[in-house]
Amino acid sequence: MTVDLHEVSKRYAGGAGEVAALDGVSARFAEATFTAVMGPSGSGKSTLLHCAAGLEPPTSGTVTIAGTELSGLGETALTRLRRDRVGFVFQDFNLVSSLTAAQNVELPLRLAGRRAARSDVLAALSEVDLADRAGHRPRELSGGQQQRVAIARALFSRPDVLFADEPTGALDNRTSHQVLTLLRGLVDRHGRTVVMVTHDPVAAAVADRVVLLVDGRITDELTGVDAAGVADRMTALERTC
Amino acid sequence: MLNRDRIGTFVAVLLGTALITTFLVLLTSAQPRVPERLAGFPALVQAPAADNRPDEFAEPVPWSPETAQALLDRLSGVPGVTGVVADRSFYAQPVLDGRPVEDSTAGHAWRAGSPLVDGTGPAAGEVVADQPVGATITVLTGSGPETRRVSGRSEWPGIYLPESEAARLGPGVRVLGVAGTPDPEALRAAVGDSGVVLTGAERGRAEPQDDARVRWIGMQVLTATAAIAAFACLFLIASTSAYAVDQSRREIGLLRAVGATPRQVRSMLYRSALLLGARAAVVGVALGALAALPLASVLVDGGFEPHGYHVRWQWWVLAVAFAAGPLVALAGAVTAARRVTRIGPMEALRTAELEPRAMSRARWAMGLVAVGGAVTAGVAAAGAEDVRDLGTLALLGAMALIVAAVLLAPAVVPALIRVLLAPLSGITATLARESAGAAVRRTASTAAPILFTVAFAVFVTGTVRTSAAAFDAERVAAVPTGQVLVPDGTPGLHDGVAGRAPLDSTVYLDGSATVVIGSDEVTPGTALVSSAAAERLGEAVSVTFADGSTERLRVAGPAPDGPFMSDLVLSRDAVRQHDPSALAPAVYPAPDGPAGVGARKASPADMARRLDAEDDRLVATFTILLLAVSAGAGALAVANTLLMASRGRRRDLRVLRHSGATGWQVIRSVALESGLAVAIGSLLGGTAGLIAVAGSARSLGEQVGTHVPVLISWPVIAGTVLVCLLLAVGAAVLPALRLIRSPAATR
Repeated sequence: MTVDLHEVSKRYAGGAGEVAALDGVSARFAEATFTAVMGPSGSGKSTLLHCAAGLEPPTSGTVTIAGTELSGLGETALTRLRRDRVGFVFQDFNLVSSLTAAQNVELPLRLAGRRAARSDVLAALSEVDLADRAGHRPRELSGGQQQRVAIARALFSRPDVLFADEPTGALDNRTSHQVLTLLRGLVDRHGRTVVMVTHDPVAAAVADRVVLLVDGRITDELTGVDAAGVADRMTALERTC
Repeated sequence: MLNRDRIGTFVAVLLGTALITTFLVLLTSAQPRVPERLAGFPALVQAPAADNRPDEFAEPVPWSPETAQALLDRLSGVPGVTGVVADRSFYAQPVLDGRPVEDSTAGHAWRAGSPLVDGTGPAAGEVVADQPVGATITVLTGSGPETRRVSGRSEWPGIYLPESEAARLGPGVRVLGVAGTPDPEALRAAVGDSGVVLTGAERGRAEPQDDARVRWIGMQVLTATAAIAAFACLFLIASTSAYAVDQSRREIGLLRAVGATPRQVRSMLYRSALLLGARAAVVGVALGALAALPLASVLVDGGFEPHGYHVRWQWWVLAVAFAAGPLVALAGAVTAARRVTRIGPMEALRTAELEPRAMSRARWAMGLVAVGGAVTAGVAAAGAEDVRDLGTLALLGAMALIVAAVLLAPAVVPALIRVLLAPLSGITATLARESAGAAVRRTASTAAPILFTVAFAVFVTGTVRTSAAAFDAERVAAVPTGQVLVPDGTPGLHDGVAGRAPLDSTVYLDGSATVVIGSDEVTPGTALVSSAAAERLGEAVSVTFADGSTERLRVAGPAPDGPFMSDLVLSRDAVRQHDPSALAPAVYPAPDGPAGVGARKASPADMARRLDAEDDRLVATFTILLLAVSAGAGALAVANTLLMASRGRRRDLRVLRHSGATGWQVIRSVALESGLAVAIGSLLGGTAGLIAVAGSARSLGEQVGTHVPVLISWPVIAGTVLVCLLLAVGAAVLPALRLIRSPAATR
């Protein structure tokens, strides 16, 4: 499934006039591809992800998910589309604090009015190595564990496209590697689309393509590079800013 | 799932339903009661009602002796009737240890077979009373004191004389008691339009009209208090619910992001509001039902309910009060839920640290509508024809004004913060200023309950004092100088002390009860008529007296003006002849020598004070009730403040500590910010209250025709503000103290 952004701009009302977070971004995330979005802080990476996932309406421009243009949809229809086709992993975990890990994982499905089999929930948790933490509440889990529960939740409804905002930001090397392998597998084995915002050149190197964002504009695209190549590129970029 | 943030709403709904339950129970308990002496009759026949306004509480027009006898004969002939008796009521007051018993002024005829604790029914010169058998007591009647032996002891209120003596003292018959098992329809057919047949609970209408009047006053007081209480609770429930929903914005945003539709989020919020309301209502209804018990005796002692008033718990009352819980909780959540689900998930997730705008357009609009309402009520109050309407309109106006103040407060809060903190410098003042100024709405909603409490304290004590001052002025102006003989523990002066002083009585003109004066200045067979009534009454009036007989009197001239005057003045002898219970309100000038039993001498000023003492007592009780309700609102404010402090501030305080603030600095800035909110609330509330008081003083002034000064009970206001300050600062500082002491703060 493909996500298309056409001339997307997003401006926020700030203290002194408007602040442009995105400035005419056009991008295409094709089916069965893995894209990493990189850029300095405040370059609009998260906003790009939110707009592409339909979590936030752009100020101008269009976003199309699987042929459906989002601007024509009401809040409810938009929510349904997101629920059925889009998975999202937030920068800071965002688990519902009063629900257990298992309940958090099955939440989107329950919201869609379906029941989740206990075994499916456990299978999803064991995919992120947390089968034994199913009954724990977020406050009883470490940051990395919470992040993995959030990933399990995003994957549980088998979305066609997964957006992840710094999914490895709070993880150690081992779990980080685990999560990246999981995401890579989604693309290679299941033909899903993954878009990931990251600061980590190692994580970006797992992607098929790296999109560089500066001041709300796409300045460059890299394909087929390794971690060292990405790191060089980023260093060069930050020097020019 | 949103439980932690909803403690404030829970407390507000709990107190709300408790108040609703208490007042509904008290209001519905106020039912007419069948007097004990009549309770044994399955049916009563009451004389036709007087053609007066219901709030004048006129006794029914008594039957003439012939009509009463004819009715008695007709009723005795109805199948199933085993006996018919005439009920008589008259003035008869026992004197114990030289003092008239103040709450026992009614005498009745004794019926053979009525229950006695001890002794026998009365013979001539004897009495049945709640006194030891064989004792000798003095009984005051219209003609003076007489000594009687107690023949029997009864627990019924009042005293009982033999039928022959009762017929002499109470010649007018207004109620017939029917014994046996008659068919009510057959009774109605026999009575025709000469009376009303009462059976079952409607027999309560045969209660003394004084009891009905007291109950009516009680209803007014309870309704006013309940209106303020309901207003306070609705207001607080709305603000705590909105706060709770705002606090859970992050969670709501997250749910929306993972696939909850706006409708799902709304129904979740509504469900939890309903559930919370129901839970709070269970506790609230139980508390409220119990609280009615002590309040009921306060009402009886205060003279707002008649003796014999007791709490009745009716299931439907409790059901209504219970249903109110979930409904108000839901109503409180609706606006906030709609607001939070209208925005996108990311917008909800981003917790707004700085509020964009203090005043929304809707808030301006509603605030200005409330101002308009207050002005309208004020104008209507100034033109009100009745002092009672004036009171209602003034209360409505005050409420509208307070709503306006609450709604428009955020517009002036930033300026107030700057002005109030201007004399202070240093880091704590800066912190308090920035924290309060950054969240104008939060500051305004913390100040709102205080605004509410102070405004009502000013309005209630202020209005009451201005009203009392107005009536004082009126009365003192009317009474001439010199010594006056006034009643002492009695409803009026009997002939034994009053001599030939003018008597008060009630007669019926065309079936309408009218207060008359019986004076020696009037020749028997004639009447004097005031200029106000002269045109209406013409050259002769047909007067029905308290004993039921009717006479036609010639109008001989105009009635004189004076402090104790009325529209119609008759001959004293005529009044005494037809109404043995008639009493004199005062004797001026007072005769020489000792005053006699049931009377004392007084100066006019003293007399005016005496007249006001009863009013003052009613007013004091009313004020205490209202202030208790306002204090309840203050307690809710504390809950609200605690809620605000518990979560929103925690992170800020921690950051402050981490940036090097000492615990003492943190506490000082928190206390200062709370104090600031109290100051803002007190200023705005005081202003709103003062405007309301000034408005009602003006209206009252126009009614009584003299200038009514605005009097404010400053000690009460100061006390209210102080209590608010202690509660608010305490509620904010205590959690902060715990926070800076806990290890989490330094972690």
